[in-house]
Amino acid sequence: MDTKHVVRAAVPLAVGAVLLAGCGGSSSGGGGGTTSSGGKTFTIACQGPLTGDNAALGINICDGAKLAIDQANAKGDLSFKLAYKGVDDQGDPTKAPAAAQSEVGDSNVIAIVGPAFSGATQASEQYFTEANLASVTASATLPTLTDPSNHFTTFFRTVATDSSQGAGAADYIAKVLKATKVYSVNDGSAYGQGLAKELESNLTKDNVSVTKDSVPAGTKQYATEASKIASSGADLVYYSGYYADAGPFAKSLKAAGFKGTFMSDDGTKDPNFVKLAGSSAAEGALLTCPCSDPQSSQAASNFVTDYKAAFNQDAGTYSAEAFDAANTIIAAMKAVSGTITRSAVVTALKSIDYQGITKQVKFQSNGELSSTTVYLYKVKNGTISYLGPIDQLIGG
Amino acid sequence: MCFTQSFWALLVSGIENGSIYALVALGYTLVYGVLHLINFAHSEVFMSGAFGGLFVVDAVVGGPPSSGLSSAGLIALGTIAGAFFGAVAAFVLERVAYRPLRRRNAPPLAFLISAIGASFFLYNLAGKEFGTNPISVPQIYDEHPWFHLFGAPVLNTYVIIVVVALTMLVALDRVITRTRLGRGIRAVAQDAETASLLGVDIDRVIVTTFVLGGLLGGAGGFLYGMAINVSFNMGFIPGLKAFTAAVLGGIGNVRGAVVGGFLLGIVESLGVSCVSSSWQNTIAFSVLVVVLMFRPTGILGERLGRAA
Amino acid sequence: MTTLSAVARRARWWNHARVRRIGAYVFAGIVVALVTGPGGSEGHYSNGLRHGLLAPRVIPFIVGGLVVWAAVELGGRQLYRVRPLVTTVVSGSQRRWQSPVVRLVSYGLLLVVAIVYPMHISEFWRVVAANEIAIYVLLAIGLNVVIGFAGLLDLGYIAFFAIGAYATAYFTGRLPIHAPFTLNPFLVIPLAIGLALISGVILGFPTLRLRGDYLAIVTLGFGEIVYEFAKNQQGITTGSAGVFNIPHFSIHLLDINYDWGLPSLPYYYVSLGFIVVVMFLFSRLENSRVGRAWTAIREDEVAAAATGVATLKYKLMAFAIGASTSGLAGVLFASKVGSITPDAFTLQYSILVLVLVIFGGMGSIAGVALGAAVLTWLPELLRTHVNPQNRFIYFGMLIIIMMIFRPQGLLPSRRRAREIRFAEAGLEGADALGPTPGSGLTS
Repeated sequence: MDTKHVVRAAVPLAVGAVLLAGCGGSSSGGGGGTTSSGGKTFTIACQGPLTGDNAALGINICDGAKLAIDQANAKGDLSFKLAYKGVDDQGDPTKAPAAAQSEVGDSNVIAIVGPAFSGATQASEQYFTEANLASVTASATLPTLTDPSNHFTTFFRTVATDSSQGAGAADYIAKVLKATKVYSVNDGSAYGQGLAKELESNLTKDNVSVTKDSVPAGTKQYATEASKIASSGADLVYYSGYYADAGPFAKSLKAAGFKGTFMSDDGTKDPNFVKLAGSSAAEGALLTCPCSDPQSSQAASNFVTDYKAAFNQDAGTYSAEAFDAANTIIAAMKAVSGTITRSAVVTALKSIDYQGITKQVKFQSNGELSSTTVYLYKVKNGTISYLGPIDQLIGG
Repeated sequence: MCFTQSFWALLVSGIENGSIYALVALGYTLVYGVLHLINFAHSEVFMSGAFGGLFVVDAVVGGPPSSGLSSAGLIALGTIAGAFFGAVAAFVLERVAYRPLRRRNAPPLAFLISAIGASFFLYNLAGKEFGTNPISVPQIYDEHPWFHLFGAPVLNTYVIIVVVALTMLVALDRVITRTRLGRGIRAVAQDAETASLLGVDIDRVIVTTFVLGGLLGGAGGFLYGMAINVSFNMGFIPGLKAFTAAVLGGIGNVRGAVVGGFLLGIVESLGVSCVSSSWQNTIAFSVLVVVLMFRPTGILGERLGRAA
Repeated sequence: MTTLSAVARRARWWNHARVRRIGAYVFAGIVVALVTGPGGSEGHYSNGLRHGLLAPRVIPFIVGGLVVWAAVELGGRQLYRVRPLVTTVVSGSQRRWQSPVVRLVSYGLLLVVAIVYPMHISEFWRVVAANEIAIYVLLAIGLNVVIGFAGLLDLGYIAFFAIGAYATAYFTGRLPIHAPFTLNPFLVIPLAIGLALISGVILGFPTLRLRGDYLAIVTLGFGEIVYEFAKNQQGITTGSAGVFNIPHFSIHLLDINYDWGLPSLPYYYVSLGFIVVVMFLFSRLENSRVGRAWTAIREDEVAAAATGVATLKYKLMAFAIGASTSGLAGVLFASKVGSITPDAFTLQYSILVLVLVIFGGMGSIAGVALGAAVLTWLPELLRTHVNPQNRFIYFGMLIIIMMIFRPQGLLPSRRRAREIRFAEAGLEGADALGPTPGSGLTS
């Protein structure tokens, strides 16, 4: 064997790579920008993690927005055409400015669904404010995003914040479940840490004793944490994080002989949670979510079937909220009387009142929803089923 | 509080973790032994094994396990499939990302970067092919506590993992110390040039080393995936821990990797009773630094050749 | 194993080199089919494989592999005649490159391009240039001192970047713990450089006695510890939520008042200025006594120590210089992006910077800068040309191919190119991390 031999064996790889770059270039193209006879075409961009480790979450969200846009086009009652454009920020605050800038720089973009993650939102929003470009997020739940010191004037969200969810969950734990010793575990992510903080402070207010802990997301191996909790005598575990870790965590808790209640958040409210935990370990788990049951109305159940038909998978967490966010933007565009511009859309959004599939969308002056309800779900017979709004469950 | 609470339960899960670390650490240590090279792509070998096992088990299994015997058969099948796919991945890795560099006498850093490139490639390819959602291995046995050790439940999963891992570790040790092949590996590890002059086919030894590491890593991947779940990014954390374990025990030393794996698993597990799990890497690396201060080449020293 | 069986094996037709190569070509075809095929994220996990590999679409790729094989084997011999020509041209240009005038002029031209070109690109690419390319170039130049000059494998390099970034947050009053005074980020630069330098020395002093791979894992551990600290100490660093609204640079000096706001171009020019200064300083350093000491350590530490080089001192120096460059990059980054989260400082980024250094040509300042710029720019470019989900697959492939065909990097330093040439000829090992893995093994 000589050197040349190996070199030559590696040539096809190089050739292949070059060919690929060529193929890829021709086969994929960005959406948007194409004008047709039916009036001007506007692009609604969806910003979120479309690649990388969190891509599954971002794709759920942006597919929801895409469905809304496709349906609005198909309906044919618009005086303009809509295009969809997915913009990837990897959910990463440091990548978000470039993503935001690419949206601001594309003059067809009229409004944005997203950004999906709170950190990315915080890093992007200043660009949107500067360009007077509306961004309606369906999933960034960090309470401080609407802090007046940020001066984010074009920010809206169709989802309740972590502080509503933390307070709702804590009240339910204290008043209905009457737990006395709670183990609050977060996944170390911005979202998990933020939600856990809200929950813990509300639980302390309700005189429930709380033990705090954190296991980094992606750990997967929860046996040690579960043994620790099982022997601590806690009667409830609240996990602030996502299903990919909540699943194995619930599974390990059961294996370690934990007898109390497992409770988690909207990041866990995903059919995959039950799959990963195994139906016996997931059974009885309570999930809080600022998202209402998409099966509750006719429009909502249509959404579920349409989504499944369009993307060949079930609507995930926040798909419905993103669908609403996109439809809210479309409603605002319809409400604009003169020419549709970015700033006209922002103005229209401020006074919008739109009946979405998850809620009545109506914003306060800071971009928060007027009514923020948190709902409770329970895993029953292997499926996540709807229990109702938490405030009603507590009252009744 | 520290160490006293749930000591036995934590010890048990530490041993379970440790046995996975040991299986993966062997892959790092074997390759390091013969090539003096950190095989950064080994965590992807682990992942490949898990997916291979998942595919085979998924194809074979119909419904819930019918009997203990069929469960045992399925576990064995999955482990063998995992080992096979791990070995294939390691073999291809050696052919594509290492051998061409070796032919051209590339410097060690080029190997390191090539391994990182391979890891990038495999990791992202798996994310694309299999999706980014974790996938559960079909339930092939009924998980329940087998017995109690001082009140701590010991799951059958733990017993299975530890028994399979120990069997493979002992088998590998026999291969390294007793067979002609093992002698070849040790010879290359000690002095490649002399070994080659004495007629050892070094290419074959290197490929075999990769394959051996892949067998263990792939089997470890399946066991890990069976106990938890399978996903494209599952290799990263166990890979990092196993690499640490290999260095802890003395990289290049087969028995050292086993000692390091179990030690790291147990220390990490017990450490969690004192501080939050979010500090687990800090615990692991602090232990490593302390050990390296006193034994600069790890607990059992460096050379593979000395393992015998 | 014996010569006899080797002869026997070679005699069989399937052992014929040309035939065996078919396998490689078909394999490459299948890999290409997989990479370009549909993904499996929708529906069942095996969909990707079922539709990408076990489907008729794989056939053209296999046939393509065979065609390329046939073309190379039967008609492609001429291709290899081109190689000497290429080598002549390349070595000729390399010889000319050695002339100081040519080099000075090319550097000048490059600088002009670096200044003028960004004025004519879209704001998106300016953001990429200021937020990513400039930062990674600076990081890579810094790591080059550690690994390229002194031969120390540092896998926790991004920790110093984090220290610089968090120092910016601290001294501008954005952390939960407050500094006794708040400063403009510009004035934080010397403080951050100092802090990173000190932490470099603190890390380096006990660990630099360790050799090659042990140093790598200990520095890796240091990086992880810094990351976990940033992530878990919510009371100090705000945890994963990150720090936001870090002020932009501003100058208030005599009559000059200038604020760097959201636009990226002004930041880009500041970074470019720092890059030029750092490159100039490091190239002076490389050719000084210190640089020669580093080379001696890199090539043979024992010999260097024996000839009276204070190895620990010079190693510490390299470590501290690299760390402080990283810290500087951290300030620029924090102030430009305005927000930092611990996830920007994970192990993957340390590895990425290492890849940039090797890709560009370890030891060569210009090469490293070029490599970092190209590799940071490429994924962003790929984003619009391939499915963005797949771009790191291509990235990985590119790295492997590059290491096979040009392990010395894009623009290797002269000294290192010579080392690698010697190594390829089998004369000696190419770096301080030991001989070629499995050296002396080629037949």
